[in-house]
Amino acid sequence: MTDEISTLLIRLARQDRAALQILYPMVAPKLMGLLTRMLGDRAEAEDALQEVVIRLWQRAASYDPQKGTGMGWICAIARNHALDRLRARPASRGHREVSRTDDARDMLDTIADPAMGAEDQTMLRARMQAVVACFDQLPEDRARAVKGAYLMGLSYQDLAAQFDVPLNTMRTWLRRALITLRECLDQ
Amino acid sequence: MTLPLKDDEDDLLAAEYVLGLLADEDWRAAHARAAVDGRFAARVRDWEVRLEGMNDAYPDLPAPDLMPQIEARLFPERAPAPRQSGIWRWLGAGSLVGALALGLVVLSPVLRAPPVPVLTAELVTEDRALILAASFDGARLSLRAEGPAAGVGQDYELWVIGAEGVPASLGLLRDGELVTEATLEAGQILAISLEPAGGSTTGLPTGPVLATAELRAS
Repeated sequence: MTDEISTLLIRLARQDRAALQILYPMVAPKLMGLLTRMLGDRAEAEDALQEVVIRLWQRAASYDPQKGTGMGWICAIARNHALDRLRARPASRGHREVSRTDDARDMLDTIADPAMGAEDQTMLRARMQAVVACFDQLPEDRARAVKGAYLMGLSYQDLAAQFDVPLNTMRTWLRRALITLRECLDQ
Repeated sequence: MTLPLKDDEDDLLAAEYVLGLLADEDWRAAHARAAVDGRFAARVRDWEVRLEGMNDAYPDLPAPDLMPQIEARLFPERAPAPRQSGIWRWLGAGSLVGALALGLVVLSPVLRAPPVPVLTAELVTEDRALILAASFDGARLSLRAEGPAAGVGQDYELWVIGAEGVPASLGLLRDGELVTEATLEAGQILAISLEPAGGSTTGLPTGPVLATAELRAS
Protein backbone atom coordinates (compact mmCIF):
# COMPACT_ATOMS: atom_id res chain seq x y z
CA MET A 1 0.00 0.00 0.00
CA THR A 2 1.43 3.36 -0.94
CA ASP A 3 -0.52 6.26 0.51
CA GLU A 4 1.01 9.71 0.47
CA ILE A 5 2.47 9.44 3.95
CA SER A 6 4.06 6.05 3.17
CA THR A 7 5.66 7.59 0.10
CA LEU A 8 7.08 10.39 2.23
CA LEU A 9 8.42 7.88 4.77
CA ILE A 10 10.23 6.05 1.97
CA ARG A 11 11.80 9.37 0.97
CA LEU A 12 12.74 9.99 4.61
CA ALA A 13 14.55 6.65 4.65
CA ARG A 14 16.70 8.05 1.82
CA GLN A 15 17.41 11.06 4.02
CA ASP A 16 15.42 13.41 1.80
CA ARG A 17 15.13 16.60 3.86
CA ALA A 18 12.50 18.12 1.57
CA ALA A 19 10.21 15.16 2.35
CA LEU A 20 10.48 15.94 6.07
CA GLN A 21 9.36 19.52 5.37
CA ILE A 22 6.28 18.20 3.56
CA LEU A 23 5.53 15.50 6.13
CA TYR A 24 5.69 17.69 9.24
CA PRO A 25 2.56 19.84 8.66
CA MET A 26 0.67 16.71 7.52
CA VAL A 27 1.26 14.74 10.71
CA ALA A 28 1.95 17.33 13.43
CA PRO A 29 -1.73 18.08 14.36
CA LYS A 30 -2.54 14.36 14.81
CA LEU A 31 0.65 13.80 16.79
CA MET A 32 -0.08 16.84 18.92
CA GLY A 33 -3.55 15.39 19.69
CA LEU A 34 -2.13 11.96 20.47
CA LEU A 35 0.69 13.23 22.67
CA THR A 36 -1.48 15.73 24.54
CA ARG A 37 -4.06 13.03 25.20
CA MET A 38 -1.49 10.55 26.47
CA LEU A 39 0.74 12.93 28.40
CA GLY A 40 -2.04 15.21 29.62
CA ASP A 41 0.22 18.24 29.35
CA ARG A 42 0.55 20.47 26.30
CA ALA A 43 4.05 21.73 27.04
CA GLU A 44 5.36 18.19 27.45
CA ALA A 45 3.48 17.17 24.29
CA GLU A 46 5.34 19.85 22.31
CA ASP A 47 8.62 18.62 23.68
CA ALA A 48 7.66 15.04 22.83
CA LEU A 49 6.55 16.06 19.32
CA GLN A 50 10.08 17.19 18.55
CA GLU A 51 11.51 13.88 19.80
CA VAL A 52 8.99 11.88 17.80
CA VAL A 53 9.77 13.67 14.52
CA ILE A 54 13.48 13.05 15.11
CA ARG A 55 12.73 9.34 15.60
CA LEU A 56 10.68 9.29 12.38
CA TRP A 57 13.73 10.57 10.53
CA GLN A 58 16.08 8.10 12.21
CA ARG A 59 13.84 5.05 11.86
CA ALA A 60 12.07 5.63 8.55
CA ALA A 61 14.14 2.85 6.95
CA SER A 62 12.44 0.30 9.20
CA TYR A 63 8.94 1.22 7.97
CA ASP A 64 7.56 -1.58 5.81
CA PRO A 65 4.84 -0.20 3.49
CA GLN A 66 3.42 -3.73 3.18
CA LYS A 67 2.53 -3.63 6.87
CA GLY A 68 0.10 -0.99 8.02
CA THR A 69 -0.43 2.59 6.91
CA GLY A 70 2.28 5.23 7.10
CA MET A 71 0.20 7.23 9.58
CA GLY A 72 -0.29 4.09 11.69
CA TRP A 73 3.45 3.55 11.88
CA ILE A 74 3.97 7.20 12.82
CA CYS A 75 1.33 6.98 15.58
CA ALA A 76 2.96 3.78 16.86
CA ILE A 77 6.30 5.58 17.22
CA ALA A 78 4.55 8.48 18.98
CA ARG A 79 2.60 6.22 21.35
CA ASN A 80 5.74 4.29 22.19
CA HIS A 81 7.57 7.52 23.00
CA ALA A 82 4.66 8.78 25.12
CA LEU A 83 4.58 5.49 27.05
CA ASP A 84 8.32 5.75 27.56
CA ARG A 85 7.74 9.15 29.18
CA LEU A 86 4.74 7.97 31.23
CA ARG A 87 6.59 4.91 32.53
CA ALA A 88 9.53 7.11 33.56
CA ARG A 89 7.30 9.39 35.65
CA PRO A 90 7.46 9.08 39.42
CA ALA A 91 4.46 7.21 40.84
CA SER A 92 3.66 10.28 42.97
CA ARG A 93 1.95 11.84 39.95
CA GLY A 94 -0.85 9.40 40.75
CA HIS A 95 -3.24 7.29 38.75
CA ARG A 96 -5.05 8.72 35.81
CA GLU A 97 -8.54 7.64 34.85
CA VAL A 98 -10.45 6.65 31.77
CA SER A 99 -12.76 9.55 31.17
CA ARG A 100 -16.39 8.50 31.14
CA THR A 101 -17.65 11.46 29.17
CA ASP A 102 -15.75 11.06 25.91
CA ASP A 103 -16.17 7.36 25.38
CA ALA A 104 -13.74 6.05 22.80
CA ARG A 105 -16.59 4.43 20.89
CA ASP A 106 -17.97 7.86 20.05
CA MET A 107 -14.58 9.08 19.02
CA LEU A 108 -14.12 6.07 16.77
CA ASP A 109 -17.30 7.15 15.01
CA THR A 110 -15.92 10.58 14.20
CA ILE A 111 -15.06 11.38 10.64
CA ALA A 112 -11.54 10.67 9.44
CA ASP A 113 -9.24 13.59 8.70
CA PRO A 114 -10.37 15.07 5.37
CA ALA A 115 -6.77 16.10 4.62
CA MET A 116 -5.82 12.42 4.34
CA GLY A 117 -5.61 10.75 0.94
CA ALA A 118 -8.78 8.94 -0.14
CA GLU A 119 -7.07 5.55 -0.37
CA ASP A 120 -5.49 5.92 3.04
CA GLN A 121 -8.81 7.07 4.47
CA THR A 122 -10.73 4.10 3.08
CA MET A 123 -8.16 1.70 4.47
CA LEU A 124 -8.12 3.37 7.86
CA ARG A 125 -11.89 3.50 7.97
CA ALA A 126 -12.10 -0.23 7.24
CA ARG A 127 -9.60 -0.94 9.97
CA MET A 128 -11.44 1.41 12.33
CA GLN A 129 -14.74 -0.30 11.67
CA ALA A 130 -13.11 -3.68 12.29
CA VAL A 131 -11.79 -2.41 15.62
CA VAL A 132 -15.22 -1.04 16.62
CA ALA A 133 -16.94 -4.31 15.63
CA CYS A 134 -14.40 -6.37 17.57
CA PHE A 135 -14.69 -4.17 20.67
CA ASP A 136 -18.42 -4.83 20.56
CA GLN A 137 -17.66 -8.50 21.30
CA LEU A 138 -16.13 -7.54 24.64
CA PRO A 139 -17.99 -6.87 27.89
CA GLU A 140 -18.49 -3.08 28.08
CA ASP A 141 -16.18 -2.45 31.03
CA ARG A 142 -13.35 -4.48 29.48
CA ALA A 143 -13.69 -2.68 26.17
CA ARG A 144 -13.47 0.59 28.09
CA ALA A 145 -10.36 -0.60 29.94
CA VAL A 146 -8.56 -1.63 26.73
CA LYS A 147 -9.42 1.70 25.10
CA GLY A 148 -8.20 3.55 28.17
CA ALA A 149 -4.90 1.71 27.95
CA TYR A 150 -4.50 2.37 24.24
CA LEU A 151 -5.64 5.97 24.12
CA MET A 152 -4.24 7.22 27.42
CA GLY A 153 -1.48 4.76 28.24
CA LEU A 154 -3.17 3.52 31.42
CA SER A 155 -1.44 0.58 33.08
CA TYR A 156 -2.95 -2.50 34.75
CA GLN A 157 -2.42 -0.69 38.05
CA ASP A 158 -4.25 2.47 36.92
CA LEU A 159 -7.13 0.38 35.59
CA ALA A 160 -7.36 -1.90 38.65
CA ALA A 161 -7.59 1.18 40.88
CA GLN A 162 -10.22 2.79 38.72
CA PHE A 163 -12.41 -0.30 38.24
CA ASP A 164 -11.82 -1.23 41.87
CA VAL A 165 -10.73 -4.81 41.22
CA PRO A 166 -7.53 -6.61 42.30
CA LEU A 167 -4.58 -6.19 39.91
CA ASN A 168 -4.60 -9.90 38.99
CA THR A 169 -8.30 -9.80 38.16
CA MET A 170 -7.73 -6.87 35.81
CA ARG A 171 -4.83 -8.73 34.24
CA THR A 172 -6.93 -11.87 33.67
CA TRP A 173 -9.83 -9.85 32.24
CA LEU A 174 -7.67 -7.97 29.82
CA ARG A 175 -5.60 -10.93 28.68
CA ARG A 176 -8.86 -12.72 27.78
CA ALA A 177 -10.05 -9.55 26.06
CA LEU A 178 -6.80 -9.36 24.07
CA ILE A 179 -7.16 -12.98 22.88
CA THR A 180 -10.73 -12.22 21.76
CA LEU A 181 -9.55 -9.08 19.98
CA ARG A 182 -6.70 -10.89 18.27
CA GLU A 183 -9.01 -13.61 16.95
CA CYS A 184 -11.53 -11.05 15.76
CA LEU A 185 -9.07 -8.61 14.17
CA ASP A 186 -7.06 -11.34 12.40
CA GLN A 187 -10.13 -12.58 10.53
CA MET B 1 -5.84 -18.90 16.63
CA THR B 2 -4.16 -21.42 18.92
CA LEU B 3 -0.52 -20.77 19.56
CA PRO B 4 1.89 -22.90 21.58
CA LEU B 5 1.89 -21.72 25.18
CA LYS B 6 5.29 -19.97 25.07
CA ASP B 7 4.41 -18.19 21.81
CA ASP B 8 1.03 -17.15 23.15
CA GLU B 9 2.66 -15.79 26.28
CA ASP B 10 5.07 -13.76 24.13
CA ASP B 11 2.27 -12.53 21.91
CA LEU B 12 0.18 -11.35 24.87
CA LEU B 13 3.26 -9.68 26.35
CA ALA B 14 3.71 -7.85 23.03
CA ALA B 15 0.06 -6.72 23.21
CA GLU B 16 0.45 -5.56 26.83
CA TYR B 17 3.57 -3.66 25.81
CA VAL B 18 1.88 -1.98 22.83
CA LEU B 19 -1.18 -1.01 24.87
CA GLY B 20 0.94 0.25 27.72
CA LEU B 21 -0.57 -2.02 30.37
CA LEU B 22 2.74 -3.04 31.88
CA ALA B 23 4.10 -1.36 34.99
CA ASP B 24 7.32 0.64 34.77
CA GLU B 25 9.94 -2.12 35.12
CA ASP B 26 8.00 -4.67 33.04
CA TRP B 27 7.34 -2.09 30.34
CA ARG B 28 11.01 -1.16 30.23
CA ALA B 29 12.09 -4.82 30.04
CA ALA B 30 9.73 -5.37 27.08
CA HIS B 31 11.02 -2.14 25.50
CA ALA B 32 14.60 -3.41 25.73
CA ARG B 33 13.57 -6.81 24.39
CA ALA B 34 11.81 -5.30 21.36
CA ALA B 35 15.07 -3.55 20.50
CA VAL B 36 17.10 -6.76 20.30
CA ASP B 37 14.65 -9.64 19.70
CA GLY B 38 13.47 -9.58 16.09
CA ARG B 39 10.65 -12.10 16.62
CA PHE B 40 9.29 -10.17 19.57
CA ALA B 41 9.62 -6.90 17.63
CA ALA B 42 7.58 -8.47 14.81
CA ARG B 43 4.82 -9.42 17.29
CA VAL B 44 4.84 -5.86 18.61
CA ARG B 45 4.49 -4.53 15.07
CA ASP B 46 1.59 -6.95 14.39
CA TRP B 47 -0.29 -5.59 17.41
CA GLU B 48 0.42 -2.00 16.39
CA VAL B 49 -1.09 -2.73 12.98
CA ARG B 50 -4.09 -4.60 14.47
CA LEU B 51 -4.95 -1.65 16.67
CA GLU B 52 -4.08 1.23 14.34
CA GLY B 53 -7.76 1.89 13.60
CA MET B 54 -8.01 3.28 17.13
CA ASN B 55 -5.67 6.15 16.29
CA ASP B 56 -8.61 7.89 14.72
CA ALA B 57 -9.91 8.55 18.21
CA TYR B 58 -7.05 10.99 18.82
CA PRO B 59 -8.17 14.51 17.94
CA ASP B 60 -6.18 16.87 15.73
CA LEU B 61 -4.78 19.78 17.74
CA PRO B 62 -2.99 22.89 16.49
CA ALA B 63 0.73 22.14 16.50
CA PRO B 64 3.51 24.72 16.66
CA ASP B 65 6.04 24.80 13.83
CA LEU B 66 8.94 23.00 15.43
CA MET B 67 10.78 22.34 12.16
CA PRO B 68 13.53 24.92 12.85
CA GLN B 69 14.44 23.20 16.15
CA ILE B 70 14.11 19.73 14.63
CA GLU B 71 16.33 20.58 11.66
CA ALA B 72 18.88 22.25 13.91
CA ARG B 73 19.12 19.02 15.89
CA LEU B 74 19.12 16.64 12.93
CA PHE B 75 21.41 18.61 10.67
CA PRO B 76 23.83 20.60 12.80
CA GLU B 77 26.02 22.89 10.73
CA ARG B 78 29.28 21.09 10.14
CA ALA B 79 32.48 22.85 11.13
CA PRO B 80 33.92 24.21 7.87
CA ALA B 81 36.40 21.76 6.35
CA PRO B 82 40.03 22.93 6.36
CA ARG B 83 40.42 24.84 3.15
CA GLN B 84 43.10 23.99 0.67
CA SER B 85 42.90 27.26 -1.17
CA GLY B 86 45.60 28.77 1.06
CA ILE B 87 48.34 26.61 -0.32
CA TRP B 88 47.27 27.24 -3.91
CA ARG B 89 47.19 30.96 -3.33
CA TRP B 90 50.65 30.74 -1.89
CA LEU B 91 51.79 28.62 -4.84
CA GLY B 92 50.32 31.11 -7.25
CA ALA B 93 52.53 33.76 -5.68
CA GLY B 94 55.68 31.62 -5.98
CA SER B 95 57.87 30.99 -9.00
CA LEU B 96 56.84 28.34 -11.51
CA VAL B 97 59.88 26.25 -10.67
CA GLY B 98 59.18 26.50 -6.96
CA ALA B 99 55.59 25.58 -7.57
CA LEU B 100 56.51 22.50 -9.56
CA ALA B 101 59.08 21.41 -7.02
CA LEU B 102 56.64 21.85 -4.17
CA GLY B 103 53.92 20.15 -6.22
CA LEU B 104 56.07 17.07 -6.56
CA VAL B 105 56.83 17.05 -2.86
CA VAL B 106 53.15 17.49 -1.99
CA LEU B 107 51.78 15.03 -4.51
CA SER B 108 54.29 12.20 -4.39
CA PRO B 109 53.14 10.74 -1.07
CA VAL B 110 49.60 10.80 -2.39
CA LEU B 111 50.66 8.87 -5.49
CA ARG B 112 52.30 6.22 -3.36
CA ALA B 113 49.47 6.00 -0.83
CA PRO B 114 46.92 3.14 -1.03
CA PRO B 115 43.72 3.98 -2.92
CA VAL B 116 41.68 6.48 -0.95
CA PRO B 117 38.14 5.43 0.00
CA VAL B 118 35.78 7.09 -2.41
CA LEU B 119 32.67 6.95 -0.22
CA THR B 120 32.28 6.63 3.51
CA ALA B 121 29.49 6.44 6.04
CA GLU B 122 29.36 6.20 9.79
CA LEU B 123 26.41 4.38 11.31
CA VAL B 124 25.81 5.20 14.97
CA THR B 125 23.06 3.70 17.10
CA GLU B 126 20.85 6.05 19.06
CA ASP B 127 22.57 5.19 22.36
CA ARG B 128 25.98 5.41 20.62
CA ALA B 129 26.81 1.91 21.91
CA LEU B 130 27.49 0.61 18.41
CA ILE B 131 29.42 2.53 15.77
CA LEU B 132 30.04 1.15 12.29
CA ALA B 133 32.49 2.76 9.90
CA ALA B 134 31.92 1.92 6.23
CA SER B 135 34.13 2.74 3.29
CA PHE B 136 33.62 1.94 -0.38
CA ASP B 137 36.58 2.14 -2.76
CA GLY B 138 34.58 1.88 -5.98
CA ALA B 139 34.41 -1.91 -5.98
CA ARG B 140 34.60 -3.16 -2.44
CA LEU B 141 32.70 -2.15 0.68
CA SER B 142 34.43 -2.62 4.02
CA LEU B 143 32.62 -2.20 7.28
CA ARG B 144 34.09 -2.36 10.75
CA ALA B 145 32.00 -2.30 13.93
CA GLU B 146 32.92 -1.03 17.35
CA GLY B 147 30.58 -2.07 20.11
CA PRO B 148 28.78 -5.12 21.44
CA ALA B 149 28.38 -8.19 19.21
CA ALA B 150 24.84 -9.28 18.30
CA GLY B 151 23.30 -11.52 20.96
CA VAL B 152 23.20 -15.32 20.86
CA GLY B 153 21.08 -16.47 17.93
CA GLN B 154 21.30 -13.05 16.29
CA ASP B 155 23.26 -11.33 13.55
CA TYR B 156 23.77 -7.76 12.43
CA GLU B 157 22.75 -7.39 8.78
CA LEU B 158 23.82 -4.53 6.53
CA TRP B 159 21.43 -3.08 3.96
CA VAL B 160 21.62 -0.54 1.19
CA ILE B 161 18.45 1.38 0.46
CA GLY B 162 18.03 1.92 -3.26
CA ALA B 163 16.49 4.88 -5.04
CA GLU B 164 13.03 3.32 -4.82
CA GLY B 165 13.37 2.94 -1.07
CA VAL B 166 13.67 -0.83 -1.08
CA PRO B 167 16.44 -2.22 1.12
CA ALA B 168 18.80 -4.82 -0.38
CA SER B 169 21.00 -6.94 1.86
CA LEU B 170 24.76 -6.47 1.64
CA GLY B 171 25.47 -9.32 4.05
CA LEU B 172 26.01 -10.21 7.68
CA LEU B 173 28.73 -8.95 9.97
CA ARG B 174 31.22 -11.56 11.10
CA ASP B 175 33.47 -10.77 14.05
CA GLY B 176 32.48 -7.14 13.75
CA GLU B 177 33.47 -6.93 10.09
CA LEU B 178 31.99 -7.15 6.65
CA VAL B 179 33.85 -6.93 3.34
CA THR B 180 31.90 -7.39 0.16
CA GLU B 181 31.96 -6.56 -3.54
CA ALA B 182 29.23 -4.02 -4.24
CA THR B 183 28.02 -1.35 -6.61
CA LEU B 184 27.26 1.72 -4.56
CA GLU B 185 26.96 5.42 -5.17
CA ALA B 186 27.00 8.60 -3.14
CA GLY B 187 23.65 9.46 -1.57
CA GLN B 188 22.59 5.86 -1.00
CA ILE B 189 21.69 4.95 2.56
CA LEU B 190 23.28 2.15 4.51
CA ALA B 191 21.26 0.62 7.34
CA ILE B 192 22.13 -1.94 9.97
CA SER B 193 19.46 -4.19 11.45
CA LEU B 194 19.40 -6.89 14.09
CA GLU B 195 18.19 -10.17 12.62
CA PRO B 196 17.82 -13.78 13.70
CA ALA B 197 21.07 -15.76 13.21
CA GLY B 198 21.71 -16.27 9.50
CA GLY B 199 19.96 -13.04 8.58
CA SER B 200 16.51 -12.03 7.43
CA THR B 201 14.71 -14.72 5.43
CA THR B 202 12.22 -12.29 3.89
CA GLY B 203 14.68 -10.21 1.87
CA LEU B 204 13.76 -7.16 3.97
CA PRO B 205 14.85 -6.14 7.46
CA THR B 206 12.65 -7.98 9.97
CA GLY B 207 14.39 -6.88 13.15
CA PRO B 208 14.83 -3.36 14.45
CA VAL B 209 16.91 -1.02 12.28
CA LEU B 210 19.60 0.17 14.65
CA ALA B 211 21.24 2.90 12.60
CA THR B 212 21.30 4.45 9.15
CA ALA B 213 23.75 6.76 7.37
CA GLU B 214 24.24 8.25 3.95
CA LEU B 215 27.24 7.32 1.80
CA ARG B 216 29.20 10.49 1.11
CA ALA B 217 32.33 11.33 -0.80
CA SER B 218 35.08 11.60 1.80
